[in-house]
Amino acid sequence: MSDAPANLTDASATSAPAALAINGTAIDATFAEAFPMKATRLVITAHTPTWAMHAANSLTGFATSVIGCGCEAGIERTLAPDATPDGRPGVAVLLFAVSSKELAKQIGRRVGQCVLTCPSTAVFGGIDPATSRAPLSDRAPLGSGLRFFGDGWQIAKMLDTGNGPTRYWRIPVMDGEFVCEDSAATVKAVGGGNLLLLARDQDAALAAAEAAVTAMRRLPNVIMPFPGGIVRSGSKVGSRYAGASASTNDAFCPTLIGLSAHSELGAEVGCVLEIVIDGLTDADVGAAMTAGIDAACELGRAAGVLRISAGNYGGKLGPYHFHLHALAAGLDRGRA
Amino acid sequence: MSTTTLRLKTLPGFRVDAAALRPATLASLSVAEIEHIVLAGGNESCEVGEVFEVLRDEDAPAQSPAETARPATPDGYGNSNAAPTLVIDGAARWLDRLGAEMDDGRLVVRGSAGDYCGFRMSGGELRIDGDTGHFTGCEMRGGRLTVNGDSGDFVAGALTGDMEGMSGGTLTIRGNAGARLADRMRRGLVLVGGNAGEFAASRLVAGTVGVAGELGPHYAYGMRRGTLLLARRPAHRLPPTFTNGGQGFDVFWSLLVRSLANEIAPFSQWRAQRLPVRYTGDLAVDGRGEILIAG
Repeated sequence: MSDAPANLTDASATSAPAALAINGTAIDATFAEAFPMKATRLVITAHTPTWAMHAANSLTGFATSVIGCGCEAGIERTLAPDATPDGRPGVAVLLFAVSSKELAKQIGRRVGQCVLTCPSTAVFGGIDPATSRAPLSDRAPLGSGLRFFGDGWQIAKMLDTGNGPTRYWRIPVMDGEFVCEDSAATVKAVGGGNLLLLARDQDAALAAAEAAVTAMRRLPNVIMPFPGGIVRSGSKVGSRYAGASASTNDAFCPTLIGLSAHSELGAEVGCVLEIVIDGLTDADVGAAMTAGIDAACELGRAAGVLRISAGNYGGKLGPYHFHLHALAAGLDRGRA
Repeated sequence: MSTTTLRLKTLPGFRVDAAALRPATLASLSVAEIEHIVLAGGNESCEVGEVFEVLRDEDAPAQSPAETARPATPDGYGNSNAAPTLVIDGAARWLDRLGAEMDDGRLVVRGSAGDYCGFRMSGGELRIDGDTGHFTGCEMRGGRLTVNGDSGDFVAGALTGDMEGMSGGTLTIRGNAGARLADRMRRGLVLVGGNAGEFAASRLVAGTVGVAGELGPHYAYGMRRGTLLLARRPAHRLPPTFTNGGQGFDVFWSLLVRSLANEIAPFSQWRAQRLPVRYTGDLAVDGRGEILIAG
């Protein structure tokens, strides 16, 4: 993965902004600005899909933003038994943090409190170093930290289940053994891709955002970490109050149209919702954004979806720039 | 990759140390250079050219039907084109230390071999079509060693006085193994398709040992950790220092069964749904070892 994908950051895409509308929905000539993060995939398996999902929901809870949660996490997809290391139903989750150290800390806490505790579960690293398209980073401790819960009864085992010798820990618990991989591969990933959906009212905005999230969730390697994949409290950097590093994005608040000097909304906009996307590579984030734009535009202006925009910081903070016009190129051909 | 073949032409008349015959080393030498390699044997020595006819084939590695039938291994050596290959044709028990400290390539021995085959080997693949002597895979650290016949004592064990036996890799004996199988073994996988002699898996530190046939007395003696897999309940009673291992190890068993899927029968035929009977011990020492009886 390159730090600056040419197809998405090509300045020519916006140097001469041309009006772009798909199905009546205007696409702003702007870009989403994203940042490097450290990420991993964990595969949680359990006796039934239900219990795997319980553990995954618990592990990815309170993980909407690194600002207050330590990490951003979400469920990537469910896994059939033939796609998991132990042949049981599973769930793949992705976790993103700002540093390897913080990611390791969050993995230890969340797996320890949410997966180790959940009946019948086991957990495995889900990044295959041999096939990962994202650059590899450090290995994060998994069982090597949790093993101490075994109080001396834990057992390590090296097994080759098809991906080379792997070290597992077997920790005695009251329903048998909690099995987990010794450590998990992590990668250099991308966080903070985003779309702003500007709609006539809340019904229209929710419908567009839900359709976009549904489309994005069909893609691998990405998560939308906010509740339901959608966030209403988009933020800007800084605040008039000392000590607050972020505050409401007044430029997109419909009640501040007449008050904020920076408002970007017209009078017809009654509701704005944002979708934040974290992905293992910039290509994954870009693909998800394209899918989201496509789904929202499918509803179009007739359904109240007026504009699609994106959040950035002037392009000076994050190395990944996802230009909406480049991402939406070609999407309108099918609707012509 | 090239295949070098050493075909026996004259018996040396004494035991020969064959540790110098490593596939990767010989692949980088010319036929003439190989013929002048000196092989020691006690107080005597001989040159390779005096004992073997040396042949070199740059393109087509030799394969036996057994090789072609074998599935590709995770380390890639199932594909004979992936590594330099050395074939020793007509080997016998007078050839000691074959594949000793080998770290790459494929060494195929057509015939039997002597003692210390695969001693401290750390990589590559060593396959012996016949029987081997004592200390096969002794202190082995990695790679894959397969003996299609029987093997002597101290397979995967430690040298006398050393603290650790085998510490990595996969060792398969399709026939029977002698006494002290996997003595002091610490890591890796040992599978025996036939019987094992007395003191199998004795003083096992960790790792996995599987025996398809019968066990001699005193198996698992002093076993600290690790797993002893048995395809059937042994005739000799379980050691008194082992206790009921309970239930609830389904996930580990499914991982273990999956790791054995490409190995020899009956281990490759075990299924995750059919849990073995588990015993834990040896309580005289650490007590975290286990005997799993799958039969």
